[in-house]
Order: sequence, then C-alpha cells, then structure tokens
Amino acid sequence: MIGVKSHTVLLFVVFVGILGLSFFGLMLGDIPTKFSDLYPALLDYSSQDINQVIIREIRLPRIMMAIVSGAALSVAGMLMQTLFQNPLAGPYVLGINSGSSLMVALGVLSGVGFFNSELGLIGSALLGAFVFGLFILFTASFLRNQIGLLLFGVMLGSFVSAIITILEAGSQAEALKSFALWSMGSLNNATVEQIPMIFSVFIITCFLTFFIIKPLNILVLGEEECRLMGYDIKKIRILIVFITALFTGLITAFCGPIAFVGLAVPNLTRMLFKTQNHMLLLIANLLFGAFFLLTCDITIQLFSDILLIPINALTSLIGAPFVIYILIRKLR
Amino acid sequence: MIKLNNIVIGFDKDLFAVDRVGFQKGKVHLLTGKNGIGKSAFLRTLSGLLKPLQGEISLDDKALDKYSDRELSTHISFVPSSQKGVSFLSVDAYLMLGRSNFTNMFGNASEEDLKAVEKAKSIFGITHLSHKHTNQISSGELQLCAIAKAYVQETDYILLDEPTAHLDYQNKKRVYELLKQISIDQNKGIIISTHDLDLAFKFPFNFYLIKESDLKLHEIEGFNDIENEFNS
Repeated sequence: MIGVKSHTVLLFVVFVGILGLSFFGLMLGDIPTKFSDLYPALLDYSSQDINQVIIREIRLPRIMMAIVSGAALSVAGMLMQTLFQNPLAGPYVLGINSGSSLMVALGVLSGVGFFNSELGLIGSALLGAFVFGLFILFTASFLRNQIGLLLFGVMLGSFVSAIITILEAGSQAEALKSFALWSMGSLNNATVEQIPMIFSVFIITCFLTFFIIKPLNILVLGEEECRLMGYDIKKIRILIVFITALFTGLITAFCGPIAFVGLAVPNLTRMLFKTQNHMLLLIANLLFGAFFLLTCDITIQLFSDILLIPINALTSLIGAPFVIYILIRKLR
Repeated sequence: MIKLNNIVIGFDKDLFAVDRVGFQKGKVHLLTGKNGIGKSAFLRTLSGLLKPLQGEISLDDKALDKYSDRELSTHISFVPSSQKGVSFLSVDAYLMLGRSNFTNMFGNASEEDLKAVEKAKSIFGITHLSHKHTNQISSGELQLCAIAKAYVQETDYILLDEPTAHLDYQNKKRVYELLKQISIDQNKGIIISTHDLDLAFKFPFNFYLIKESDLKLHEIEGFNDIENEFNS
C-alpha cells in the first residue's frame, strides 16, 4: 500500500500541532501568564492564584471546546457527505444546526424554566438536530438532485431564522442579548465543570462512529450496494443521522452555530489523503477539525486587542471561499 | 439451485411471468429480450432487491425471503448494469469492498483477502489499474472491475445485468469465456442479461427469452427463436 507511512506522519504532525497550539492557547490572553503557571493550573490547582484561575477557568475550557467542536463538526460533515454522496453536504448547509438553533431559541427566548436549564438546553439542541436530520433524510429520499437537497437545506435555514427573528421581536432584552451572543458562536460559553460531560458525549459518539466504518465504506458506492452487501440500509441511515445529530447538537448547544467547518474539513481530508477509507478519514477529520478550529480560535485571540471576531464569522470567512472553490471544481 | 414457480416479475405494475424455471450451479444462464421488457427487474428480483409480485423464489430449497440480507450476500452477488466511479476510491479499495463478508468489522483486509483481490485482478486483466481511482478509468474498465468485485465476493451465484455493454469485442469475448470457465471450475451459477447475442450464441450457455407476445420467460434452444422475436 502506497502512502500509508506518509499518512501516519501527516496525522502525527497534526496531532503534535494540536498539542502545541493547545499549550500556546493556554498561555495566550490579555493577562500575561508564565509557562510555570501551566502545570499547577492543570494538575495542582489552587484557586487562590489568579493566573491559575485564568488558565483553568477561562482558557482551558475554550481550548477544549475548540478541539471538541472542530473534531465533532468535521466528523458530522464527513458522515453527511458520505450518506448523501454529496461533497457539498454538511451539518450547517443541510440545516441540521437550524434544528438546534430553533429549539435553543424557543428555550432561551420563551424563558420557560426547563429549557433554560443546562439539561434542557442540551436535550432540546440534540432533539432539534435529530428531528431536522430525519427531515432532511426523508426529503433526500425523493429529492435525488444533489444541489436541490442543498437548496432545501438552505431554505430550511432561512425558514428557521425567520421564526427566530419573530421570536426575537417579542422577547425580553435580557433573553435577547444572551441569545444574540449565543448565535454569534462562541467557544467561551462552556465552563470547566461542563467539560468532562461534553467530552464524555463526544467520546461515546466517536465510539459509535467506529462501529459504522464498514457500511460507510460501502455507502460511497450507493445505498443499493450497501443492501446487496447485507446491510440494513434503513437502520444505517438513521444511525448516521443520529450520530450526526449528537455531534452537531452537542456543539450547537454550547457554542452556537459554527458554520462551514463540517463542510470544508472533510473535503480537505478527502483531497489530502485521496481515500474513501473511513477509518483513515475519521481519524483525519478528528485531528484536522480540531487543528482547524484551534487555529481559528488562536487567530481570534491574537487579534482580540484590535477586534473581537466571532468564531462563526471567521470560519465562514475561510470556509465559504473554499466551498466555492469545490463548487467550481465540481460543476465546471 | 434457484427455483422459480409461477412468479410475476415487476414493480408498480406487472412486467412478465415465469411459469417454472430452475437455474442450477455450474452453468451460465443467459437472458435476453427486448428493451424495457423487464430483464433488469428480473435480476433485481433474484438478487433480493425487488420482491416478486406473485409466487415464491427459492434458493437451495429455502424461500428467498427467508434469508436475511447478510445471508443472501454470501450466496448471491449482483452487478447492476451501470456503475459509477467514485473519486478517491482506488480500484484496489473498490475490489476490497467485495470482500466485506470476510474482512473484520473495520474493513481491514487479511492476507487471504489481499490474495483474493490480486487473483481477481489477474483473471480479469485489471492489475494495471490497481491504484487508479474508479472515476478515472473508462466505463469498460469499470465494468470489468465490477465483475471482479462480484467474483471476490465468492458467492454461489453471480447475477450480471448487461455485463458486456461497455466492453470492446475482445473484452466481451474474454468476459464470456471467463464466465464459462468460472461457472465450470468453481461450480457457480451465473445468470446474465445481454443484447450481445451473436457472440453469446457461440458459447454453450443456457438461453432464456422473455417473449413479448405472451410476456413469459421461455427456455430456448436455437437462434431461430431469437430471430423470430426481434424481427417481429
């Protein structure tokens, strides 16, 4: 097999890059901290030391969220692209985020107690993502055209944002402000106490994905081939949508909508590794996704003195031109 | 043996009927008939993708719908008439997908799987395509790859829907010869649909015709029946 070695080297380099960027990110911020503060902040924590508090309570959750969000959204994008055999599919363009956004908006803006709780927020975001995922799946069963499906996703997004605008118009200033901040997308929202829970859901979902590697590999040939190879394609489809909803809903609940990561990174990895082996693609998307969002976050931190760019804006700035590039390559 | 008893083939509406026919192993069975008469629907029904509108099909004396999809995939492989090449999917990786019933749960290939793929590539003369991506080869080459993929699946029966449609004359002949050889050497039942009749009739295949006049499947002996059908 050609290139297995170079693939491993590339993945290893990205992995080391993630580690390096993480430590760099922990050091980076308005308040200067020393390298020697890192060790106690992470492993021998004392809440008396302000530097340690900043690193542990503010920077650590942000770095962790960048890693998890990038990885989760990229894998979700890979799953959507394979399921719909469409390189332009992704959780954001297909409107799966919109499902989460709608549910979160209903919760935050309506001010109903349950939805404002942490569990309510996550639960409703996951549910919204799953229901919209099934809706897209159902639509795809009769809308065979690739671009048509994307347009449908975009329309779904527009429809939802219209509803959200109406909700916004009728809500209290305080709720409105917190929702507006959420909708800009931010890696700062999660607290250090929430990180273990977020990581657990993320790891479990990754684990689930490993179980469908083989049907994913066959699915690139189409659903019929999958059936002929003895897979229950209906179950596989729903499992893929479920996994995508877990990834997307989890991230959307805590970070708000983050656009284009799930579209750009899976395309990038397929191009770089020139493979349809989903074991390799899965690992590559986890690593490249984390690396990409970490880089975005650190870029934002570096420019934070001048201008605080919302993460969603930056990923769109980079992702949208990349998607246009793929579109031109594909449709030409 | 695949046995059919008073079957009606079709989807949405009836296409044609099969009174009684049996496809045994160790033989190539060749099916022909006019465009749109239901050859593809017939093969899809045998593959389990379609249900017969009426009647029961049995495989080795057990009803076809009593098999799970997984079991069926170890007995019957099916190559649809048109294949689509996939970007970044190499021919090697494509053929390995045919070994899905043998590879481990992550699709990793064993020594045996690699050997089977190598053997299939040399039989079908596609070794030189190994590292090419399936969207970068010609439709004829892709067709050979698809047949090779069904071959590595190691099923008792192989169904091929117009396997020679995109092939040049030399490759058509080669495919028919190979199919004949495989059916005898490995005791496989091979069922194909085709329009390449002039060539096919030079081989000792079993021939079947779906007649337009009575919309039934007939086993035929000579070329005359064919000529009558297509001249009418």
